[in-house]
Amino acid sequence: MKKPVALLLASLMVASLAACGTNTVSESTTSAAVSTSTQTSAQTGAEAKGPVTIKYPTYRVGTHYSAAFEKEQIAKFNEKFGNEVKVQVEEIPSDTAYNDKMKILAASGDLPDVVMGKNGINEILIKGNLATPFNEYLDKDSEWKADIGDEAIAANTRDGKVWSISDQKQVIGYFYNKEMFEKAGIKPAETWDEFLANCDKLKSAGFTPLALMTGENAWTTNLMLSSIVGTSGEAGNKFMNTLHPASFETPEMIEGLKKIQIMLKKYTTKDAIGAVYANAANNFEQGKAAIIANGPWMIGDFSDKSKSPEGFDKKVGVAAYPGSGAFLSYEVGYMIGSDAQDKKDAAAKFIKYKTSAEGQSIALELGNVLPVSDKVQPSEEFKQKYPVFVETIDVGNSAKVKYQYFDTIVFPNVTDTWKNLYPELAFDKLTAEQFAKKLTEVAAKNK
Amino acid sequence: MAKNKGYIALFLIPTIILFVVVYAVSIVILAGTSFTEWATGTKPVFIGLSNYIKMFTDDSDFTRSLINTVIWIILQSTAHVFIGVLFAIILNMKEFYWKFARTVFMIPNIISGAAVGMLFLCILNPEFGAINSIIRLFGFKDFSQNWFMDYRTSFFSVTMTWLPYAAVVTILVLAEIAAIPEGLFESARIDGASEIKVNLYIVLPLLRNIIGTCVILSGTSMLQKLDIIMMTTGGGPGNQTMNLPMYIYKTALMDNNFGYSNTVGTFLVVFGIVLVLLYRRIFKIGNSDT
Repeated sequence: MKKPVALLLASLMVASLAACGTNTVSESTTSAAVSTSTQTSAQTGAEAKGPVTIKYPTYRVGTHYSAAFEKEQIAKFNEKFGNEVKVQVEEIPSDTAYNDKMKILAASGDLPDVVMGKNGINEILIKGNLATPFNEYLDKDSEWKADIGDEAIAANTRDGKVWSISDQKQVIGYFYNKEMFEKAGIKPAETWDEFLANCDKLKSAGFTPLALMTGENAWTTNLMLSSIVGTSGEAGNKFMNTLHPASFETPEMIEGLKKIQIMLKKYTTKDAIGAVYANAANNFEQGKAAIIANGPWMIGDFSDKSKSPEGFDKKVGVAAYPGSGAFLSYEVGYMIGSDAQDKKDAAAKFIKYKTSAEGQSIALELGNVLPVSDKVQPSEEFKQKYPVFVETIDVGNSAKVKYQYFDTIVFPNVTDTWKNLYPELAFDKLTAEQFAKKLTEVAAKNK
Repeated sequence: MAKNKGYIALFLIPTIILFVVVYAVSIVILAGTSFTEWATGTKPVFIGLSNYIKMFTDDSDFTRSLINTVIWIILQSTAHVFIGVLFAIILNMKEFYWKFARTVFMIPNIISGAAVGMLFLCILNPEFGAINSIIRLFGFKDFSQNWFMDYRTSFFSVTMTWLPYAAVVTILVLAEIAAIPEGLFESARIDGASEIKVNLYIVLPLLRNIIGTCVILSGTSMLQKLDIIMMTTGGGPGNQTMNLPMYIYKTALMDNNFGYSNTVGTFLVVFGIVLVLLYRRIFKIGNSDT
């Protein structure tokens, strides 16, 4: 009795292993068949070819602010081009998990066909020559090129090669609670000294002035720091427009860090040190803080009853940073990670749709995302629903000083370091000078 | 006998294949690339012992991570196991509450590390966290301690997210106690031994092997601890709560320095093996009790 059972178990184990192997072979056979068929089709005509499958991992899912427009763009693309390109979407519900996964896939040479190049992923792909430049695709399609615009193309061009296509422009001021400002008897500050004085007045009126956070990429805190540095004069502005600064030990950075130290110690919520974006956003939207530095994608939350109290959107104003400053930058956008030519073409087609005037329009209407092209304008209905969005565009247009934010200019390991250093700054374990020195050391570690 | 050997070989094949494919190949690649300079998109370049020299002589983050890891291993091998064994002995008295207490004690161990991290982020939140709220109830109205981010409390707070929850140790020890012949207890009681003496002089000496196993399991678990640290402090403030796994993660994926990261990884593997051998020697695991 024992022998047959043992034999059966052994056979099952071997069969399961064999099955795993068969699966792999089967997949690669299919790929090979697709590849062979592609070559044949290329020779005999594209019409005989079935849809090319491309892999597209995305973190714009679930409760992410971009999930709605992402879903709509993919649905519309499938409707129009589903017979040519099949998009295999892999949902990764976290920006950090997405970044980590792309870096590991890049290291193992197994990149998906479409990659979002944010947070240093683009640098890795460019350095390793793991992406395909868009030059040929753009040269063949002047309409698409015009939809993206020269500025956005230039922002993602290195040595004449266009490595990624940006899908959105970032114009960022700060949002403030008009009711709290009125009660404190203040208006948006024009200098940083006035800004700090405003914080004092808000505090005296019983309000917590700033919704800061130092967890994740310290987003709202770093927007403040970037603005202090970016509006501090020519040297500071140059620094905030320099890709991969090697040294952070500049007078502007140190001065900026000193101001941030004051803000973290005196003017923010008790949970700011270690808080993530959601905490800071919640503090502003629930009326627990008067000011939050953030981009226009947040505007939809102000009238979303699950996030803000009813009528909160009427209380929100937007302003340029002291010194007439605002962020202006283009997102890194999409890159092609495919190896095979048919996949590259299919990936380019998908990216083209997502960044076309139609794709940008969907992102604008459903995600409050600023389009890269001036050709794409918000609808009247949208303008009436989100007047703060229009104000944000005005703030961007009227700001005299423009700069980028840290996430776009520093190495990814620096972006990852803020969350470890800010608590030490806030609890006086580090001085601003030591903080800047540590940043320099971290930047030097990047490979 | 020959037929039995055939079966043994047959059953071992899948395990050997899995070990070679999943572990052996990876460890060889890990060790091999630890002698290289290697970043994503570039080919590994052999640089001899440079990474190892840098690691031991010129890397304060590595030193801090190693010190923290060693402290946590010591705490986990002693305090954690002590709590688990003590709880097992108490539960073994089979008082009316024992099944309920065993189940409750098990709960933190069946929740994923990430969920435990989130749970503690809420419990220790400086604004609305349960701990601060309880302290405020005692008259400290403005009390607001940032348990995870204040460098004075961060190490302690992170440690408390895993140190007391020793249900796995308790379950293993309880199973071992159940295997002790009842006759031994009866003889001791007839001789007038108290419950404490029975536990001290009969139960504990017979638990040497299982306690050794628990020490190995608990101690080496600290060589893999990443999820809760990532969810709570990210190794900060500064590098206050950085351990070796977290440092490997940062070096590889943030610094994009896979060569150096694999050097630290190789050290971690060797460190783990040495640790297991050391524990086996201390507890004489596998040796007969008689």
